[in-house]
This record gives sequence, C-alpha cells and structure tokens, in this order.
Amino acid sequence: MSWYEQFLVAGTVVPLIGFAFLVFFGHRLGKPLSGWFTVLVMGTSCVLATCVLFSWHGLSPADRAELTAAAVSNQFYWADMGSVPIKIGVKLDSLTVIMFFMVTFIATWIFVFSVGYMAGHSDEIDGQSKYHRFFTYLCMFAFSMLGLVISSNLLFLFIFWELVGLCSYLLIGFYFDKKFASNAAMKAFITNRVGDFGFLFGLMMVFFFLGTLDLDQAAANFRQQYASSTGLFAIGYSIDLFGWQVSGMTLATLMGVGLFCGAMGKSAQFPLHVWLPDAMAGPTPVSALIHAATMVAAGVYLVARIFRLLTPDAQMVVAVIGCITLTMTALIAIVQTDIKKVLAYSTLSQLGYMIFGLGVGAWTAALFHLMTHAFFKAMMFLGSGQVIEGCHHEQEITKMGGLHKKMPVTCWTFFIGVLAIAGTGIPWTGPGIGGFYSKDEILAAALMRTDHWPPEAEHHAKAAPSDEELESGLSYRLASDSPEHGATDTSAGHDSQPKSEQAHGPSELDHAAAHHVDQAALVARATDSEHPTSPLPKWLFWFPIAIAYVTPFYMMRLWWLTFMGKPRDQHVYDHAHESKLMYVPLVALAVGTFFCSYWVFRPLLADAASAATDATMVVAIDGHAHDADHAVGLMLHHDVHRDLVPIVGFAFLIGFGVAWAIYRNGLELATRISSMPGIAFMHRALRERLYIDQVYDFVLVMGCRGFSRLCSVFDAWVVDMVALLCAALVRRIAAFSGWVLDARGVDGVVNGVASLTKYAGNAVRQPQTGRVRNYVLFAAGSAAVVLLLILAGSGAWSAVVGWIGL
Amino acid sequence: MESSLLSWIVFLPSIGAVAIMLLPKALTRVIAVGTTLTTLVVSLLLFRTFLAGGDPAQAESVFGSGYGFLHYVQRIPWITGEGFTIEYFLGVDGLSFPLLILTTLVMFLSCVASWNFSHWKVNKGRKAYFVLFLLLETGMLGVFVALDFFLFYIFWEIMLLPMYFLIGVWGGVRREYAAIKFFLFTLAGSVLMLVALLGMYFYSADAVHQAMASGGVEGIASGYRPDVMITGGTFDLIELATNQAIQDHFGAASTMLMGFRFAPFAFILLFIGFAIKLPAVPFHTWLPDAHVEAPTPISMILAGVLLKMGGYGFLRICYPIFPGGGHDWAFVIAVIGVISILYGALCAMAQTDFKKLVAYSSVSHMGFVLLGISVMNKTGFQGAMFQMIAHGISSPMCFFLVGVIYDRAHHRRINDFGGLWLSMPKYGSWATLGFFASLGLPGLCGFIGEIYVLLGCFEGRSQFGWAVPMAVLAATGVVLTAGYVLWLIQRVYLGKLREEYAGFPDAGIREVFILAPFGVLAIVLGILPKHTLFNFMNGTLDLMVDHIVSMNRHFDLMNQSYAMLGG
Repeated sequence: MSWYEQFLVAGTVVPLIGFAFLVFFGHRLGKPLSGWFTVLVMGTSCVLATCVLFSWHGLSPADRAELTAAAVSNQFYWADMGSVPIKIGVKLDSLTVIMFFMVTFIATWIFVFSVGYMAGHSDEIDGQSKYHRFFTYLCMFAFSMLGLVISSNLLFLFIFWELVGLCSYLLIGFYFDKKFASNAAMKAFITNRVGDFGFLFGLMMVFFFLGTLDLDQAAANFRQQYASSTGLFAIGYSIDLFGWQVSGMTLATLMGVGLFCGAMGKSAQFPLHVWLPDAMAGPTPVSALIHAATMVAAGVYLVARIFRLLTPDAQMVVAVIGCITLTMTALIAIVQTDIKKVLAYSTLSQLGYMIFGLGVGAWTAALFHLMTHAFFKAMMFLGSGQVIEGCHHEQEITKMGGLHKKMPVTCWTFFIGVLAIAGTGIPWTGPGIGGFYSKDEILAAALMRTDHWPPEAEHHAKAAPSDEELESGLSYRLASDSPEHGATDTSAGHDSQPKSEQAHGPSELDHAAAHHVDQAALVARATDSEHPTSPLPKWLFWFPIAIAYVTPFYMMRLWWLTFMGKPRDQHVYDHAHESKLMYVPLVALAVGTFFCSYWVFRPLLADAASAATDATMVVAIDGHAHDADHAVGLMLHHDVHRDLVPIVGFAFLIGFGVAWAIYRNGLELATRISSMPGIAFMHRALRERLYIDQVYDFVLVMGCRGFSRLCSVFDAWVVDMVALLCAALVRRIAAFSGWVLDARGVDGVVNGVASLTKYAGNAVRQPQTGRVRNYVLFAAGSAAVVLLLILAGSGAWSAVVGWIGL
Repeated sequence: MESSLLSWIVFLPSIGAVAIMLLPKALTRVIAVGTTLTTLVVSLLLFRTFLAGGDPAQAESVFGSGYGFLHYVQRIPWITGEGFTIEYFLGVDGLSFPLLILTTLVMFLSCVASWNFSHWKVNKGRKAYFVLFLLLETGMLGVFVALDFFLFYIFWEIMLLPMYFLIGVWGGVRREYAAIKFFLFTLAGSVLMLVALLGMYFYSADAVHQAMASGGVEGIASGYRPDVMITGGTFDLIELATNQAIQDHFGAASTMLMGFRFAPFAFILLFIGFAIKLPAVPFHTWLPDAHVEAPTPISMILAGVLLKMGGYGFLRICYPIFPGGGHDWAFVIAVIGVISILYGALCAMAQTDFKKLVAYSSVSHMGFVLLGISVMNKTGFQGAMFQMIAHGISSPMCFFLVGVIYDRAHHRRINDFGGLWLSMPKYGSWATLGFFASLGLPGLCGFIGEIYVLLGCFEGRSQFGWAVPMAVLAATGVVLTAGYVLWLIQRVYLGKLREEYAGFPDAGIREVFILAPFGVLAIVLGILPKHTLFNFMNGTLDLMVDHIVSMNRHFDLMNQSYAMLGG
C-alpha cells in the first residue's frame, strides 16, 4: 500500500473510531466536549486529506497512473458471489483525492459550526443525551461518505451509499419528537430506496453481464463486450431481456439507467426529488453538510464513476432527467419563502445542472461544478443557519429584511455565495467565481452536443486514428489541462483550447499496447457508423440557458429579502444577533469558494477525466471516434465558448437586476405581480410544488397503505378462513361421525340392544310383585298352561317351541 | 470418525430437563440457563473442524469432494426389522453447522429472556416451563443433525409437543387457539412428510433389490461411503441422495405413487410439509397467531429457529433427493417465494399489533429463502442459507425488542406508542439497529442474504426465463420493507413522548445482555459475511448444487434416451 492509500483509509477510519468512541463514551463527554472531539476527529481526517491532495497535485500523470494501478493490487478478499470473488480496495485517482479533500474540509468546518449551533438546539428535547448523539451521527456520516468516495467496488459503493442514507435518515429525523421531522426522515429514506431498487437492478446486471463489480474491470469488460458484440451487446440478446423489448432500450442502456436510478434517488432528481425540500426539517448544519455539499452530490459522483458504463441512450436519459430537474426546481425556488426551502430548491436545481452536465458528456465540468457548489452551498446553508439561529428559529424570509446591520459577516459571505451560484464573472476574460467556470462549461458542452454535433471535418481527421498512432499510444489520452498548465491557466475556463496531444508515459503506453486489438476493433466499429448519434434535441440546451437567468434572480431575491431593505418584522430584527463561533466557518468556506476550487481542483479533475471516463469507450459508442475530448468535456472547442458568452454571459447581471427591481422595496410589487391574472395560477402551482407531493401522497402512499390493508383483510378473511373452514369442516365431519354415525349408529346399535334388554327386563319384572297370592296365581296359571300344552300333544308342543325359536 | 459429540449436544438439554425435574424449584432457572449455556459452549467446539473451511488448501478436508461428507458421525443400528434398519445416525456438515450454532445461541439467549418468568401473566409451573423448554431444544438440535429420515421425523415430532404446551399454557389470551392451530398445521405437514418417507423407503428398497437382481450381487455400493454395501431399503438421507441406483429408480418415469410420478409427487409432499414450517404463503396463517400468543422467549425461538427447519428441510431433503422435482417445480416455488415476500410485507404494513407485524415480516423475509432455493444455483443457495441465519439473528432480536416494551406497557398496539426513544434511549438505539438489520440495510446481515438471492436469480436467467422478472419483483419488496419498518419506528420510537410511557426504565443489564450478541452478530455478519459464515458453509452448499445439477443433467439424458426409444 502506498502512503496515499494508507492516508485515505486512515482518514476514513478515524471518523469510525470517533463514532465508536462517542457511542460508548459520548454521554460522559457531554456538551460541548463531544462536539469538539468530533471536530478533532474530522480535522485529523482533513489534515490527512490535505497531505494527500497536495502531494498528489505535485505528481506527474505517469506517477499517478502508476499509483492507481498499484492500488488495484491491494485488495481485500471480501466474499464470493457464487464462484466470483468480490474484492474491496481503494480507488486511488484524482477524483477520489479531490472528493476526499472536499468532504473532509467542508465537514470539518461544518462540525465547528455545529458545536455552536447545536449548543442552542439540542436542549429542545432532553438536554445532553441528544447533543452527543448528533455528533455521533455526524461521525458515522463522515465515515460512510468517505468510504463511498474511496470504494473501488460498486457493491461497496452501494453499501456506503445506504449507510449515508441511514445517517441522513437519522439526522433529518433528529428532532424526532416533531411529526414533520420524522415524516421527512421517512420520506427521504423510502424515496431513496425506490432509487436504490434501480441501483440494485443495475448492479445485478453489471455483475452478471460484466462478471465483476469492480469499477475498472467492469468498464474494461464493457468495452471488450462492445468490441466483440458479446454479452450486453450480443445481437438479439440486447433487445431481449425478459423476452420482450423494454421500451426500445438495449440491455446495456437499461443497465446504465438502472444504476442512474440510484443517483436519481440520492441526488434528488425528478421524479425522486420530493424528499430533499422536506429534508430541511433536519438541523441546519445537517442540511449544509449532507443535503447540500456531500451526500446529495454522491449521486453525481456515482454517475461520474459509472460514466464508462453509459451508452449514448443512457446518457440521453441522464441529460433529460437533469434538464427537467434543473428547470422545474429553479422555477419552484422563485416562489418559496422559507429560507432553507429556497436553498433546498436551488440545490436541486444545481444538482440538476451537474447531472445534466454528465448527460451531455461534460464530465469535468459537472464534477467541477460539484466541487464549487459544495463550497458555496455549504456556506450559504451555514449562513441560513446563522440567520435562523439569530432570529430565534424564524425561517420565513417574508419576516426578515435588513439583517445586514445585525449580521454583517453572514450577510457578505452569503453574498459571495450568491455571486458564485449566479456564475458571476467578467465575460470574455478570466476572473469570475464559482459557477462562472463550471456552469459555463456545462452549457458549452450542451451547446456542443445540441448544435455543433457532429463536429466539423477537421476533427474527424484528427481523431480517427491510424494504426501507427494506436501503437504509439498517442491518440487516446488527451490531456488539456495538465497540472502545470492548470497552475498558470487560471482563466482557461472560458477558452480552454486544445493543447498538444500528450503521451502519458510508459504505463499508458503499455496499457495502450495491451488493448491494441480491442481498440482496433472499436475503431472499426466506430467508423462504420452503425450507431450514428444525432445531435441532442435543442431544448436540452435552451432550458438550462433559461435557468441560468432564473438562478441569479431567485438567489438575489433571497439575499435581498433577508439581509437588505427594511426590517419587515421588528421583533425578529430587534433580537437578531450573530455568533462568532458560527461565522468563522462561514469565512473559511467563503475563502474556499474563492480560491480553492479553480487552482487545484480543475486541473486535477481534467487529469481524472482522461482515466475515469475512458475516452475511447465514449467515442466508440457514439460512433464518432473524433470526439473523445469533446465527449468528456476535456477540451471544448474555442468557438463554442465564444458563442456562448452573448447568450449567457450577462445572465447574472440581468437576473440580479430584475430581482433588485422587484424586491428593492419589499414584497408589495412581488405580491402585485403574483396576483396578476395568468400568473396567479402559476404562482399557486409553484408554491404547491406543482402538486407532485400531493399526487405521490395520494397515489403511492395511500395506494400502498390501502393495498396493504386489503392484503391484511384478505389474509384474515380468506387465507385464514380457508384454514378455519377446513377446521370447521373437520369438526362437522367429526360431529357427524361422532353423533350421527357413532352415537346413533354404532352406539345406537349397542344402546338399542341394551335398552331392549332393559325393556325386556322391565317387562319381565312386572309380574314380580312380591305378593304371594300373585305368585300362587302365576304358578297356578303356569301349571294350567303347561298342562294344557301337554294335553295338546307332543306335536303341538314342538311346534310352539319351534315358533318361539328355542 | 465416530464421535459422540453431537449426541452430547443434542441430549445435554434433556439431561438438564431431568435435573430440573429432580432438583428443587429454586434451582430451576439456574439449571436451565446453565444447560443452554453449556450446550452453546459445547456446540462451539465444532468450530475446531469448520474454522479451516475458508482456506482453499484445507477446504476439502472440511467439506470433502462430494455431497455427503460429514463430521462427528455417529451411527448405531437402532430399530432393525425384517429387511430394514433404522439407524441412530447423526452428523454435521456445512449445511447444518451454522444452524446448529444458531439454535444453541438463540436457545441460550431466549433462556435468559425467560429469566423474569415470575413476572409473567401466567407464571405457574416454572419447572414445567423450563423442562419443556429444554426438551424443545433437544428436538430442534436433533432435527438439524439427524441424517436418518426416520430419526429426523421423530425429532421433528418431538419438537412439536413442547412447543404446543409452551404456547398453549404460558401464552396470551387466545393461547389455546394459537397452540392448536400451530400444532395442527405442523402436524398436517408431517403427515405428508410421513407419506413421502414411507414411499422413499419402499422405492429405495425396490431400487436396491432390482439392482442386486440384475447384477446378481449380494448388495450394491453405497453412494457416499466407500466399502459399504447396502442390501435393502434405507432411510439414510445422504444415501438416498447420492446412490445412483436409488436416484435412477426415484426419477424413472415408471415409478408411480398413487397414480403420480413418484419424484415430483414426493417432492411436493415434502415441499408442503416444509413450506408450512417456513412458512410460505398460503400456509403461513398459523404464524401470526402463534407469535402473538406465545411468550417472548418462545416467539424468539419460533422465529429464530423453528422457521429455519423448513428451509433446512428443503436443502437437506427435498432438493438433494429429488433434484428433478426442484427443477420441475422451480417456477411455482419462485412464485410462492415472491408472493411471500410481497404479500408478507404488505400484510406487515397493515398490522397494528407490534408482534403481528414482526411475524408477517418473517413471512416476507423467508420468502427470499424460497426464491433463492428455487433457482438452484450456488449464489441462490448461499443467499438462501445466509438469509436464514441472518433472519435467525434479526428476528429474535426484534421479538425481544417487542417483549421489552410489552413487559413495561403490557400491550402491543403500535398506534398507542410514541416517543419511546426519548424515555428509553439505550433501548431505542438497539431497536433501531435491530429493525434496520431486519430491513436489510447494507452493512447489516439482512442485506447480504437478499442481494445474494437476487443475484442468484439473475444468474439463473439462462436456465429459467422467469428468473429475472422474479428478481425484479422481489427487489420491489425492498422498498415495501423499508416502508413498514420505518413507519413502525416512527410510530413507536419517534414522535412525542406520551405521558404514560415517560417513566419507563431503560433497557436493563439482562436486556442489553440479550440484545448485544444479536446486534453485534448482525453487524459482523453484514460486514464480513465470508469470514463469519460463508467460509463455514459454502463448501457443502457448492457440492450440493453440483450434485443437484449433475443429477438433473443425468435425468435429462435419461429422459432423452427414453424418448428416443419411443417411450
């Protein structure tokens, strides 16, 4: 094990140890010691992660590839499935390193914030016993999340995936004495389970068609099967899963969509997005950490990891779902008035952007957006926590206003977040923050795929490689932003021009040589354009563009209504205050938003992209070998970026301006607008979240409960009744045989004989009166009869005797 | 390799029972707990043998090279008559070993759970209770180690009677109804089993005699024991499965019982017998009643061990001896399995009685066992077996969790609880663990069994076209399970604390002592399934599947040639 792996594993295990410690001794540590203990634990992890990140950043791509390959060999033999061994190990690549750092860094600061925040909140129920419990859960969460990030195996990814879901459940329902909190927790878990059902299905398909659950190996097998038209791609098999065609999808697509379902649950994509707004019932630090920065990003992370297993159709599904989510939720965000709900919907919308980005192939950009978003959204959530705490649990922005005087640090760090999410920057030049780079890259990729697709001929020539190129291993791994460049290329977001094609060093060459045959086959298939892909529909570009205008609008609305203008509720305003312990993390994250993301993350992500997306694969399946770079967003054509600026470059200004114009004087104008005919019903529908929750409640929850009631009644009245009827029948038969047959029949015969005897006895007894004269009479009579009989003759006698039957 | 270790394990509880009868009443509980503990410790000695199972180099010495490799065998002719021998034949392999350990463990813990006997509603007859309790243990252990069908049958019936009294005397309000229902259902099953038993004996005798006559020999070679000749019918479960002559005769189209082909028919008879025990829908209705009425420790045993006897019966008797039957009925079995999963989950969701809910969840979980077995491949069998053990850990835990609050609240109406986590934080945490294990949360034991079963179905897709849709249907059960478990947790443990429960004492030392082993095992099995369970059983299961598959292939060939001959 290299020390990189050791550090990553240690960084993952430390929170677990912290968790175990808190389970047993948490109540002794009490308040606030258990909180600080957790900060220490997380800080340790963060230090380890930082070491790894900076050291990794300094390595050459060749060294990184070597370490990645070495990590594969250090795997733990976990179990066999049937006869396929399942091994677990650390997936050591740039993406892991960055995600790991991001999670630990943000978590550490959020833990610090929590120490302050929970001091006031945990007493709501029963004092100290809940305070340490909160931190126990947080440790568990940190462990699970980090485990998810470093897993090299889909099964383990799934296990940690569920564990973060569990932590999320426990933390959303932290104030579980409140009905809405436990409802929200349950909703989150069950909705995620629906997604996991798809994930599980995808997992099974991966296992059985690709014969492994290891991410890299699965991708390799996927590629190999594609090249040789076997397995998932076998002709005839691909359309025949259950003996009928599954809505026109090939088997490979179905697998990708199945896995994506998991991401839809965790990253709250339509139609499984309903849980995230409700999840705001949890304590605010939880919303910041889990429901904005890390866990909900796990879905995006998953899609990035399985990117190599997605066919163009599956990518299309991803893009469409992402597009629907980002559009719908941004619109809903406009009308929300709960500060956390607005942030929740904006999170949904940004997650939609990430998923959409992956769908259109902007791998690097989507993950870059994930990183930047994690920083600024965590910061904004903490800011909202500060506001809520400062305003004594007031969450309605309609009652706030003017808070910038009372909480300046919160106000201005929040403003940085607003700028970042809006994608603020100076068009055509470098400087900008947050979404300025990442969102634009996603949109550029979208433009590429919807408009400039298939690209021009000059790219054809370059990317359809000749055999010589294959052998030299040059043509597949194109690195646009190697770290050296990245360090200087801070303004490259807008015009990351194609850099020179670079060979990745000896290990890459070996790799290329080993797959030479595969690749030749792939290219052969790719160029025969058997699977031509047309450009994506235009709306997949225009909706995200439109929402790029909406985002600044609702964020500015939120910020302005909260911090600017006149106080709308004097009572709230008078009591508002800011806590120092809680604003230090805000500042730290604001600094992170400004600096950390671009200079370190972007180049490393670009490096990760070349390996993690397996450019060759994407290309081959698209049928356009030339677009390796475009498909993964490594290099976007210069023109695309230039074309994009007039369309979206000033969106932030327009959005801010409109919001300012409407809300500058409070809510009156907005109320007037929203009650205008034609807008009023839309406003109502958006406020009611487009009635999706109601429909789910009615159809799914009530349906399920009704059906379960039905089953239960069926069980009691039909299934059990059959058993009881059998029993009753047996008893009837028993009664019949007991009473009719036995008592009247068999017994009747016996009894009949007995009663006959008795009757005869009675009859015989009658004459025995005990009186002598009767006996004398009887004797005399008898004697007379006997005499008569004797007299009648022996013949008659014998006749009488014969008649009696003696 | 004769050894009397298994006899000791099986009859130690009986010795304890005798001791309880003879010694004063004050010692009863101590003796009972001591006996179950001793049994547990002695049964752990078996690890000496099975610990090496995970090492590929030694696996063969643990599991052998074919189905029927046994350890600690003890075989003594027991009843001999004209041409037949009933043997006292005990042995243990990778299939029975985990179940044996599970039994001794669950019995020990539920014996500790009976410690507060004097506080029960019906607390008369302490001696009788513990005597029956220990006899029950003998019966159950005997079922898992008896390899002579006749002996198996006897242990099966021995187990029945103590259970009847334990429910019928110390149970709840409708205890007599529940006890009789339990008794009659199981008895109905064992009658069917008896028919199959006799059929198997007589047809094996026919087979052996025919083989002897056609070969002109004094006896035929045993299927699994070198240098042993068999000369007549047999009750030996391993022999019946491995002897080619017997298998051929069982599987032949001309072998009929009551007008039906013998193998599928006998399979069905046995199947129903075991499915009642499992329990599979629609034979499950005894279970909710029995659970609701039984006292807590008995519920733990019912769920933890008794239900496993059904699954064990499938794996030990139905499938190895009638592999063709398994193949013929695979679809039906899978459908029953899936219906059990979904129907059990739905019924559980609708329950308002805490215990009934857990009982229906057992139906749902055991459906996975059926589904896993039905596809007849290694992954499926491993999954089914793991599911049994996992359920044997999570469900007694859940029943005990119910028992803990029943002891305090004296009712089990889910909707009347609320906020118990607040008044009983420690207990609440254990409860969350237990119910999440039952829910099948990855990282806990329930998950491994389910995913193996589902993967097994996927693996079976080349053989059975329906396998994948079944897996998909079963997987929807995952969502339903989450639904009812979380709803349950919400109604009982979350929410506002009700006044009437505010003063409840938290889980005591004894209660934690019972919950902790279950909880720890649930976690350990979930994290390291191979090292804690698969290592000890996969060898046998794999060999068994190989055996079944090769037998089926053999029958296919036989039927083909039969058809070619114009039959």
